[in-house]
Amino acid sequence: MTKRRKWTAIPGLLALAALAVMLSAYSGASSSQGHGPAQPIAFPHPKHAGAVADGGLGLNCVYCHYAANKSPDPGMPAVGTCIGCHALGAVAGTTPGGQAEIKKLQAFAASNKPVPWERIHKVPEYVHFPHVRHVNAGVTCQTCHGQVQKMDRVYQYASLNMGWCVQCHVNGYDPQEGLKAAGYAPATSPATPGTTSANTTPTPSAEKKKARYDCANCHY
Amino acid sequence: MSNDTKASGVKRRDFLKILGAGTAAVSAAACSEPTGKLIPYLVSPDQTVPGVSTYYASTCRECAAGCGIIVETRDGRAIKIEGNPEHPLSRGALCARGQSALQGLYNPDRFQGPMIKQAGEWKPITWDDALSIVGQKLGEVRAKGAAGAVFINQHESGSFPAFLDAWLGGFGMRPHLSVDFEADQAAIEAHRRSYGVAWPRFDFAQAKLIVSIGADFLDGWGASVPQQLDFADARAKGEEAPRVVYVGARRSLTGLNADQWIPAIPGSELAIVNFLAGKGDVGAAAQQSGVTANVLSALKAELDAARPALVVAGTRGANALDVGLAAAQLNVSLGAVGTTVKTADAVAGFEGISRHTELLEAVTRMASGSVPIAFVRGVNLAYTLPASQKFADAFARVPFKVSFSSYPDETTELCDMVLPDLHSLESWGDAAATPSVMSVQQPTMDPVFAHTRATADVLIALGQKDAANAARYPNAEYRSWLIGRFAGGQSAMSTALAKGISAGSIAARAVAGVGAASASVSQQGDYHFIVYPSPVLGDGRGANKPWLQELPDPVTKIAWSSWVEMHPETAAKLGVDRGDIVEVKTSAGAVRAIAIPYLGIRPDTIAMALGQGHKSAAGMKVFEFKDTEVQWGYGRYARGVGVNPFDAVTTTTDAAGGFVWEGMKASLTKTGDHDIVPSTEGSARQHGRGIAQAIVAGQVEKEEHEEHIPGDASHAFLPGLRSPVAADAQGELGAPTAKDHGKDLGLYDPADIRGMAKRRWAMTIDLARCTGCSACVTACYAENNIPTVGAAWQNATVYAVQKPGFNMSRGREMNWIRLERYYEGANDSEFTPDFEARFVPMLCQHCGNAPCEPVCPVYATYHAPDGLNVQVYNRCVGTRYCSNACPYKVRYFNWFGYGEEDRKQYAFPEPMNWQLNPDVTVRGKGVMEKCTFCVQRIREAENRVALEHREMEPDEFTVACAAACPSRAIVFGDAADPRWTVAQLAADKRAYHVFEELNTYTAVVYLKKVIHPSPAAPAHA
Repeated sequence: MTKRRKWTAIPGLLALAALAVMLSAYSGASSSQGHGPAQPIAFPHPKHAGAVADGGLGLNCVYCHYAANKSPDPGMPAVGTCIGCHALGAVAGTTPGGQAEIKKLQAFAASNKPVPWERIHKVPEYVHFPHVRHVNAGVTCQTCHGQVQKMDRVYQYASLNMGWCVQCHVNGYDPQEGLKAAGYAPATSPATPGTTSANTTPTPSAEKKKARYDCANCHY
Repeated sequence: MSNDTKASGVKRRDFLKILGAGTAAVSAAACSEPTGKLIPYLVSPDQTVPGVSTYYASTCRECAAGCGIIVETRDGRAIKIEGNPEHPLSRGALCARGQSALQGLYNPDRFQGPMIKQAGEWKPITWDDALSIVGQKLGEVRAKGAAGAVFINQHESGSFPAFLDAWLGGFGMRPHLSVDFEADQAAIEAHRRSYGVAWPRFDFAQAKLIVSIGADFLDGWGASVPQQLDFADARAKGEEAPRVVYVGARRSLTGLNADQWIPAIPGSELAIVNFLAGKGDVGAAAQQSGVTANVLSALKAELDAARPALVVAGTRGANALDVGLAAAQLNVSLGAVGTTVKTADAVAGFEGISRHTELLEAVTRMASGSVPIAFVRGVNLAYTLPASQKFADAFARVPFKVSFSSYPDETTELCDMVLPDLHSLESWGDAAATPSVMSVQQPTMDPVFAHTRATADVLIALGQKDAANAARYPNAEYRSWLIGRFAGGQSAMSTALAKGISAGSIAARAVAGVGAASASVSQQGDYHFIVYPSPVLGDGRGANKPWLQELPDPVTKIAWSSWVEMHPETAAKLGVDRGDIVEVKTSAGAVRAIAIPYLGIRPDTIAMALGQGHKSAAGMKVFEFKDTEVQWGYGRYARGVGVNPFDAVTTTTDAAGGFVWEGMKASLTKTGDHDIVPSTEGSARQHGRGIAQAIVAGQVEKEEHEEHIPGDASHAFLPGLRSPVAADAQGELGAPTAKDHGKDLGLYDPADIRGMAKRRWAMTIDLARCTGCSACVTACYAENNIPTVGAAWQNATVYAVQKPGFNMSRGREMNWIRLERYYEGANDSEFTPDFEARFVPMLCQHCGNAPCEPVCPVYATYHAPDGLNVQVYNRCVGTRYCSNACPYKVRYFNWFGYGEEDRKQYAFPEPMNWQLNPDVTVRGKGVMEKCTFCVQRIREAENRVALEHREMEPDEFTVACAAACPSRAIVFGDAADPRWTVAQLAADKRAYHVFEELNTYTAVVYLKKVIHPSPAAPAHA
């Protein structure tokens, strides 16, 4: 055998590697799903947005993410919004850990610096995702973001891959499922009038909210 | 183990290595791009929602007219400028220059803070130090007698001139000079004497006949936006539209829009006007002008019969004032005053412009050493004064010179200190719009550079530092002073700011009397030499804005360059071809530029546009200022592009005190060199393709109303409702009907619950209105993040040719909408005035049966159910098959990654990228791009109506090009809904599709131009 023949298998292996890359892309493995970095302030969503029964304050998501229902951008709360409750001498936290984090926030405010939050959810630049359309169509925040009200540290819940988007645009969004995803039992939800029994099967697809799914709906 | 013992292939260990590397590559790919940080506000500003635009009404300061503008800001940054519909001048439209104000605001070569020249080098300085130095100098000057001091300001109307004069007076200095190099002094003087206002409103729509004596009123002569609006309204009358006659040695854009061209020898216009007024002999006029007596007599007969008619004169020769006065007198005798010449809604911005002779007098005083201190704001004298004036030498004799310029221009380089001003989009001000309406200017965002300051605020600070003046400036801000000028104070101003205008007038400064005409024009050479302000770059002010550099000249279609226009006969006589370098020489100097044969110029005349040829005035070192290199010579986009014709212009003034730019003589010689021609033009002839169609007046009504699309008439403009499959578009399947329900029609089912197939986005372009001004092109660049590609460094890295405009000469320009200009009649070698020009805005036609779609191997271009031909950038792999397939050639390839920050070809250097529209993807390398029908605006409107739970109103929104269009030629909308204007216009008798025979079923419908031949001249319909 010559050395030359030894390398003849390389193209095949390269093809194999390419196949692996393609499979990986197709499978959604290239998503940063599950990514949940440490934040400059360990903001406890459960404390703020968690249900009152669970010891939270039950704040609506759009109290802080104030533009989600009127803009493509969801809006991040201004430091001033936090300080509205957490000004010096006001809400200072109950646990030593919480107090330390609130002190950090007050330090940011005192030095007129915004909090440099680590961004978690990001679709590529060539995708236009208008929060306003989805929120006003009744899609619960948790459908895409997971039950943030129960996350000690927020992570990327959904894959945010195109297939994930399109399956909802094609098959439709089921409000019942959305409520389930949000952590509400459909029967107890006031947002679904007409639902009489918790055992009702999910509404038929005809009542699901569908949306355009051709490319230019989001890519332009 | 030897190699021989191994049977075949790779060793296990090698295999694992390779596999490992492959896995590593996959893992690396799996880590998505970094997500970055989310930086919130400290305190949320009121009345803004992140991701939703906020709009401010303000005033455009790019020329003296001062149109009203609406500035769109997103998250605190200005991203787009459009006309203010409530403003009496712009009425919702805006020209290319006005839109490019954004690139002045975000210019990467702006000064970021004050600087001082010490020992021949520029050094940053703090504002406190700078102000104390200026304050100290002012004190010294006043002690010695400040009467000789000079303050030269770029002309602006409004309250600032009076404020400035009061400040100067406080320091014992004389009133400032309000200079505008583009202003036609002779026309202003003639208007003032004859009508009582500097610039009346020319109501073209009322006229039966329009005669322009060298006035390019559509592009640069006076207030071009309101003039275009009125002119287009006149031409839109179709059959009843006034005929337009243009008299002049060179056909300007206005000349090309005229129905008839009378090519008079420069300087002979006076004889023609006198003849038209019945004061002269036709023989003498014909002999002087080189035009046959028949043509002149026919024009006179036509003019005598037309009531009312309109004559506008804007020559720049030595006898310009006489021509202007004679033309105005003609208007008076024709009864035009009050009907076609209106003084009640005059353009007030042209009042109060200092005469050029006053400027020359100031330069003379500088040269004599009697000017102790000089201030320059917004004017670039070292560039715009003819080289023969030796301004630099005179200026050097002024002991202390301060510039308020924002940009590293030639004049600033010669100064001793620069106190960079805020841009007009960052500062307060006001302007006189008409005699009874004033226009307000407000900051639309915080200053881009924190260490720049409004000149008015600097003057107040200097006044406050001075013991004798401090009491006059109780407030530190010019804004407070401005509020004081509103009768109702703060609340009246707030009301005015919401609309951008307010009733009221601002008295303009008095203008000095006429001085004596000076010197004589160059008489050396065989050719009449004309220079004219560039329609896009003006007197050179626009040269540092890449949108304007990239915008092809509306007449010659050349960008990023200087050129010499000459008739093909002249070129043949001289033995030069297009692109050969010629030398133009006068008694004042010589310039070299490429020769461009142009049908619309007399064979004995040559012409050059002003605006290019910026260069470092003193050869100062390129200065590193923080992170930016200050590029002397008006910044990176202007420096070293083209030549400056002022180098060969004699300093001569007319009787109104304006510079003489016409009627010089020059010699023309071939140099033997050749250079690239950065032009977007392919052929100037249609070759029978019927792209720009026209119809002769009188024939429109007679035309049988043809179906615009072969096949099914009732769906003529709804091919988007059918599938993009060719057979279907041709009607085999027809539009889906009720019986199709239940069939799998996918996205094309009109009964689809998603309501996708309800609309057919479409556009009409009325060629009777279109003047070819190209404002739409710049509007498209601004809206759609289109990169400019013509800068010298934007060519390929390998085999680089570092020349401005090289990419354009290779057809790599990215103008999603372009203005094609075609000639009809004449031939390309012999001189005749009888030819016609037609302008066609050409953009993606959004074909219902698009040739580009089936050839794409990756489905990156497809037909959306609402009729859009969509380009999906993230699918595109750059095969360019679609561009080959496109019969309209409206697809543009991103060759070098102009949108990628780390490339040298990057088109948006910080902070230019602040202007990028967040709703539009910035395209990377290897992607095909094209007009999207502003899909982002469609989506925005859809989002809005969904949010407000209502149906979309007809004409609720429009696309960028249609919004800007100063002739209102472009109309966009839903052709499937008869309530939209576009649906009605598409049914016009003049409607046609370009290349209809290709069965492309385009969504863009053109309306034929209407031509009005003179009884004597042949028509080329």
